[in-house]
Amino acid sequence: MNLAATPLSWNACLSALRLDRWMMGELDAADAESTGTHVSSCAACSTALAGMRGVREEVRALPLPIALGRPAPRRRVPGVAVTGLGLALAASLVLVLRSPPAPERSKGSGLALTMYVQHGNEVRRAAPGEHVAPGDAVRFAVLSLDPAGRASVYFPQAARAAQVPAGTEVPLPLGTRLDATTGEERLLGIFCGSAVELEPIRVAFERGQDAAPLPGDCQGLRWSFVKR
Amino acid sequence: MILDAPAIASLYRSHGHVVLRRARTLLGSEADAREALQDIFTALVRNPDAVRSAGSIVGWLYQATTHHCLNTLRKARTGARVLELHVRPGLPEAGGPRGEAAAEVRRLLALLPEDVAAAVVYHHLDGMTHAEVAELLGCSRRQVGYLLERAQGLWDRAEQTA
Repeated sequence: MNLAATPLSWNACLSALRLDRWMMGELDAADAESTGTHVSSCAACSTALAGMRGVREEVRALPLPIALGRPAPRRRVPGVAVTGLGLALAASLVLVLRSPPAPERSKGSGLALTMYVQHGNEVRRAAPGEHVAPGDAVRFAVLSLDPAGRASVYFPQAARAAQVPAGTEVPLPLGTRLDATTGEERLLGIFCGSAVELEPIRVAFERGQDAAPLPGDCQGLRWSFVKR
Repeated sequence: MILDAPAIASLYRSHGHVVLRRARTLLGSEADAREALQDIFTALVRNPDAVRSAGSIVGWLYQATTHHCLNTLRKARTGARVLELHVRPGLPEAGGPRGEAAAEVRRLLALLPEDVAAAVVYHHLDGMTHAEVAELLGCSRRQVGYLLERAQGLWDRAEQTA
């Protein structure tokens, strides 16, 4: 494949950089004038510029990321607090679960995270990539495949992982009313043999460091759903 | 220039499209592109000096976006993207032969060394002149020519072994 002729190759005469700089007023007067003259008589560059302007309008209509000043979404959580990582369209929620102490863990055992969605009067088990609506209530459960039937749970208002009651299917006393921010929401469940510090994990998750290693005795479980 | 959170929010509104548009092209995923947009501006809150010392905001955003997206493509290639448990929907144009060819370009970009891949992105995907690429890479135009020649060679070899 010729690099100059891929489906992603640029099609206008002037570079995207030049057009962006012109649009954002970064060019000096002479360059700005020559660029403007060219664009006004070039269909390819005019089309490219129109596309750029379209995306600019899109971004202006997007909600600001929380880190840039958008108020954090309000979540109604019965009894416990939920750590909302507040990303504009990929809001993240850390749900940390703790497994039994390592010496008691049987080889091959594992834990799973299941999400239930309540929409109106209907409660259903959600699948990965589930589409939900703002205002829906979600509830999480731990499914333990450990022969000992024990699982532990950590509630994110504390700094370290904590234990939950034993059982083969243990609903966590954790639910949240979805806020109005639409888009994909990610969950990270961490099953650990010890009461690990959560803040470094939360920070790495927030920063999108997907490959950030978990503590040695932890296993991670990811989930996402799409709110629209 | 004071770059506190409100100033960066204003920058997000005025310049965010530079990131989102290029991230869409580079990543082929709306969700990943929006994540890139958010990550880049959120990182600015933590380290505003990064752009404060840059000669051009647009130029800095090009560099940051390219670096971020190439990293994302590499992570996807190596399977290091541990948060992903399902296939995310791509952009509408991701389908069909053209979409497959675009995906192949992204796969090959992930194989190239960082400076070579960045030169390819700037020159071929952004249509930059060698002088513009040299400015963003901080090297000579001659070096840009060398990087692009090397890219085509590596590209041809990767296609043959694919």
